[in-house]
Amino acid sequence: MNNQIIKSESINHKRWRKFKSLKRGYYSFILITTLYILSLFLPLFINSKALVVQYEGEYYFPAFSEVIPWVSTYYDGELFGQDIPGAANFRLLQKSWEDSDNWLIMPLYPYNPFEDITNNENRMYEPPSSTHWLGTDNTGRDVLARMCYAFNISISFAFILTILNYIIGISIGGAMGYFGGKFDLFFQRLIEVWSSLPLLFVVIIISSIIKPSFTLLIFIYTMVNWIFLTYYMRAEFYREKSKDYVSAAISMGQSHTKIIFKHILPNSLIPVITYFPFSIVGGILVLVSLDFLGFGLAPPTPSWGQILYVGLSNITKWWMVFSPIMAQFFTLLCIVFIGEGLREAFDPKIYSRLR
Amino acid sequence: MFNYVIRRLLLMIPTFLGATLLVFIILQMAPGGPLEKTIQQIQMGSSQGGGEGGATSNGSSGAGTLLPKRALKELERFYGFDKPIWQRYLIWLGVWKREIKHRNLAFKIGDIEVKKNMGKRRYAYVRKNGAKLEVYDKEGNISKLWTARFDMDISDEEITNFDELKNNGELSDISKLEATIYETEYSGVLTGNLGKSYTYQQPVIEVMKPRFKVSILLGLSGWLIAYLVCIPLGIKKALSHGSTFDLISSAVVFMAYSIPGWAFGGVLLVLFGGGSFWDVFPLGGLHSPQEIWVNLSFFEKVLDQLHHVILPIIAWTIGSFATLTVLMKNSLLDNLSQDYIRTAFAKGLSEKRVIWVHAVRNSVIPIASGIGYIIATIIAGSYFIEMIFNINGFGKMGFQAILDRDYPITMGFLVIAVIIRLIANLLSDLALAAVDPRIRFK
Repeated sequence: MNNQIIKSESINHKRWRKFKSLKRGYYSFILITTLYILSLFLPLFINSKALVVQYEGEYYFPAFSEVIPWVSTYYDGELFGQDIPGAANFRLLQKSWEDSDNWLIMPLYPYNPFEDITNNENRMYEPPSSTHWLGTDNTGRDVLARMCYAFNISISFAFILTILNYIIGISIGGAMGYFGGKFDLFFQRLIEVWSSLPLLFVVIIISSIIKPSFTLLIFIYTMVNWIFLTYYMRAEFYREKSKDYVSAAISMGQSHTKIIFKHILPNSLIPVITYFPFSIVGGILVLVSLDFLGFGLAPPTPSWGQILYVGLSNITKWWMVFSPIMAQFFTLLCIVFIGEGLREAFDPKIYSRLR
Repeated sequence: MFNYVIRRLLLMIPTFLGATLLVFIILQMAPGGPLEKTIQQIQMGSSQGGGEGGATSNGSSGAGTLLPKRALKELERFYGFDKPIWQRYLIWLGVWKREIKHRNLAFKIGDIEVKKNMGKRRYAYVRKNGAKLEVYDKEGNISKLWTARFDMDISDEEITNFDELKNNGELSDISKLEATIYETEYSGVLTGNLGKSYTYQQPVIEVMKPRFKVSILLGLSGWLIAYLVCIPLGIKKALSHGSTFDLISSAVVFMAYSIPGWAFGGVLLVLFGGGSFWDVFPLGGLHSPQEIWVNLSFFEKVLDQLHHVILPIIAWTIGSFATLTVLMKNSLLDNLSQDYIRTAFAKGLSEKRVIWVHAVRNSVIPIASGIGYIIATIIAGSYFIEMIFNINGFGKMGFQAILDRDYPITMGFLVIAVIIRLIANLLSDLALAAVDPRIRFK
């Protein structure tokens, strides 16, 4: 006897299949995810520290120390017999060891985003060349290295920001729509106040007072930004609550928690999910804008906005304008493609045309 | 409808108060405000002057400042920091008495009444009554114009018994009782007084007026061009959905969405501003330098201005290009698949008539509701573009005010921005009701 139950394909599986079939969005998704995961290990690819050093029979792995949080990242020059004060300069070591038994392997691109003219052979405003692929900035820092690290920071920033906004927005908005009453009224007033404020202006005021760190900036921006999703979720919960299946659940004696999390929430999430990539786009844009104005992450954090600012204040240094704009452009374009695919998969619209 | 508008207008009041109060508190509680900045500047000045000023100012208020107490008090009064924060907000609003035209006077030992010249041959007679001061005019009536109070850090009891205490040899570090006499008036936002800018030394309204005009000019032309381009483009895209034209223009739309208008402005500036590439357009400003500008004929002035605003307006338009086009396209597509279109076709109407009279008219509805949003972005959107193209507009002024800690301008900017947003929200709801007969407000 054949006991196998033929399970119908789940809705999420269908959506995933649909998403995969939309090549533009799917490949963008793969590209961005891969790049982001790789960017978590950036110190292994773009770094002024060597990957492997073999010095007088001993092996060292300086670059790996930056990926593993609890290991000291400092390698003294004397450790490798280098006659300079302070930290070792591996690029110079590599040159001086050409004829000896000692050897080292540098990362693919041997510059890090923080070394400036005070360090060594770096110069200010070098145009793109074979050594500095995208030139150097106003303090002699390598633009390509900074751009890559900024990619990681931008995406992380936008991602964490969006998640926080979602958690707060969904819970408060859901509660507003579900419970209504005074709670709803209070937050409605609050939302009204918030939406009448020029929020970027407020963020700039706050960050002009406290020079924000990464976490603090996320916190500040969440404080001003969570409200919009709230309004949306409120409407969604309000609508769902009046539907029959919720009345049925209530009459069966289900608890509020169960009704909210098991019944209403899954039904009201679709628009929010499809909005996710666009929210990330918004987060990245905000960080670039704030950094451009000088009210974003504290220097010397690598950031696209800061490079753009330097470039636009020295209009002849075109590489510092084009590189961050192009990087931002391609990142955002990919995310917009993902968003488009996601929207197609979750919320398909079929347009019929009569002729 | 009328009732609805009235109710919305009334609801704006608490919203306005809430929004301004929030920012007011943030600004006033913030460390490093204008007061501290000024003190710092004075200190820098005195330390550069050989430190002599610091040594002579005895009685400085131990908090690391070299300023004499009296000067510090006057500075505090100038910036309004001598009052508790709720009073400052009410004064700023104009529902609490604002003190103006301060003058100092002093009570020496044994003084009961002091005659103070208030200018224009007017005299005030200030009489000490316990720890309070009463002001009389020439005729001996209590003055309605002036108020006075002591400006001392000692207790009321000590002020009352100042003469005795002094005779007993106490309070040796105080030689006289210092007091302030001032006029009061109700003047604040509600009376149209936004204060005086610290940096420009001008009333805030005067500072804002010319800059606001610039931003409006830029915003309106950008907005107009965006609508003129995006609506026809959106219609064309919807009608040829899936064609090559649609695909290519979609690519352009996606690109425009992925680059903010101001960043695109930066690219334009590098390419055409005469840096390393072509020198076609000026680097910034609204017109040529003044010495050239005044000698131009009217026609040349128009050309010169156009030459300067082309790049900013392109950048401005790009900002709303993608959203508007997609909105128009999707809205029309939505409408084209509706039943009433089928009916119209079935009736035998021509395709042209169905599309232009039936479908397009209904598709403009969501665009109409965007009017408020667009008005709001005239302020916010101009922000970065004015920075990049170095245009002295409203947004740049607000941003500069934050940097300079120019609180009157910051708050003035905020007031205008909030009011515009509130009105814009109402306008978009009304616009929606105007184009969509199904929407009725009660």
